[in-house]
Amino acid sequence: MKEPARKITVEDLLHLKRAERPPQEFWARFESEMRAKQLAAIVVKRPWWDGAYRLFSAAGRLRLPLGAAAAVALAWAGVHYAGGPSPAGRASRPVAGEPRAVARAEATVAPAAARVDRAREESAAAAPEAALAREPVVAQIESHVAEAPRAAKAEAARGTAFAAGVAAALVDFRGTDPELARRDIFGSDREFEASFASARQPPAEPLARMDPSNERLERLLVPALTSDSSFGASGPGGYRIKQKASYDRMYESLDRYGAGGMSLEFRF
Amino acid sequence: MNASKAIAKTLVASPERKLEADADLAVVRQVQAGDVAAFDRLIIKYRERVVGIVYNMTSNREDAADLAQDAFIKAFQSIQRFQGQSSFFTWLYRIVVNSTLSHLRRNRLRSFFSLESIREDDPVSRELVDALTDKTGGGREAFVRELQEKLNDAMQKLSINHRTVVTLFEIDGLSHQEIAEVMDCSVGTVRSRLHYAKQLLQAELQPYLRS
Repeated sequence: MKEPARKITVEDLLHLKRAERPPQEFWARFESEMRAKQLAAIVVKRPWWDGAYRLFSAAGRLRLPLGAAAAVALAWAGVHYAGGPSPAGRASRPVAGEPRAVARAEATVAPAAARVDRAREESAAAAPEAALAREPVVAQIESHVAEAPRAAKAEAARGTAFAAGVAAALVDFRGTDPELARRDIFGSDREFEASFASARQPPAEPLARMDPSNERLERLLVPALTSDSSFGASGPGGYRIKQKASYDRMYESLDRYGAGGMSLEFRF
Repeated sequence: MNASKAIAKTLVASPERKLEADADLAVVRQVQAGDVAAFDRLIIKYRERVVGIVYNMTSNREDAADLAQDAFIKAFQSIQRFQGQSSFFTWLYRIVVNSTLSHLRRNRLRSFFSLESIREDDPVSRELVDALTDKTGGGREAFVRELQEKLNDAMQKLSINHRTVVTLFEIDGLSHQEIAEVMDCSVGTVRSRLHYAKQLLQAELQPYLRS
């Protein structure tokens, strides 16, 4: 090392570090990497919570319409699944599909009416006695058929489409066979019930059919005690004597088998 | 008169730096207006200084490249928030220094040093090396390499904050005020750190000093 011709300080030595420069290849690589990172930064994927945040922000802007839609949906679900609105509400509701429901009901009821009519004629022709025997049942059916239009009309007055359809169908059904409309031919419900009640047996209570306990005990014990003439006496005193004798016999028979207390012993 | 000018230069930014800051602000406005390609001009202008700062703080070339790139990307992503209250290079340096300090604190126990070659075309450096050795050829290169290693060792013995102050003041030429802005501390803190760091370096590099 030669003798320094000038003063050298820490600042001079640190100045040497300024001259430390990377080669040109370094800058070429630096630029390409920088470009790649820049592109990656531009097209960086947003995290999932950013999407959720954006969704909630959008939902926040549509708060009023979404709330209204939710309320309408809730109300519809409540009406649809919880049994519908009050009768007053139903009455005020317009019946949109009424003509179609009436036509469907007529189409359903017409074949059934024809079948009832045909069965009635056949049964009357085949066996008049049987027809007379079945008269209460037929009368019941006919009475319900006759009553149904009235009930259906009442229901239709409340405004339901189905009830209106049924009422219209039954009125039409009765119109096709005027005989069915006259209830006097077959009688009424009360006549049927009266005739049916006469054929019914009176109710029997199962315990009532059992023998009284005293009589039964006497019937069982008297043959066993025929040897003792004193036991044949009647009255309360005789009954107590018979009962005591029966218990003594029972204990005696148990003693014979060695029964006593909590155990039972058999001797052979 | 000259001494007072030198002292003033260390305290406040030079007029050239102010003109530079105005030019940078115009480019930043272009980038903010949507001209993304204008940011490349800022990268090309500051990349050597940025890499130099990070390299002198980390003493590792690869880390310097990565950290400098990340700092530019952060600046690019945040440039819409830049309002021009400070100069662009102060703002960029703050990003660079903070990224580097975070990196150094995360990897306190890991240290892989690499040396860059000293460019002999710099007259001040050539004169300094000539003053330190009369060797030529391979002997001169070995001496310079040894001196570089000693300088790096001395720098790494400083704390992170002292190393940062020395790097920004002695190597990059920032004023005390600018360093205070970059490091978000007072000018007095910068001065005291600089004084303490120079004392440590003087003790470490004593064999190479001539009074």
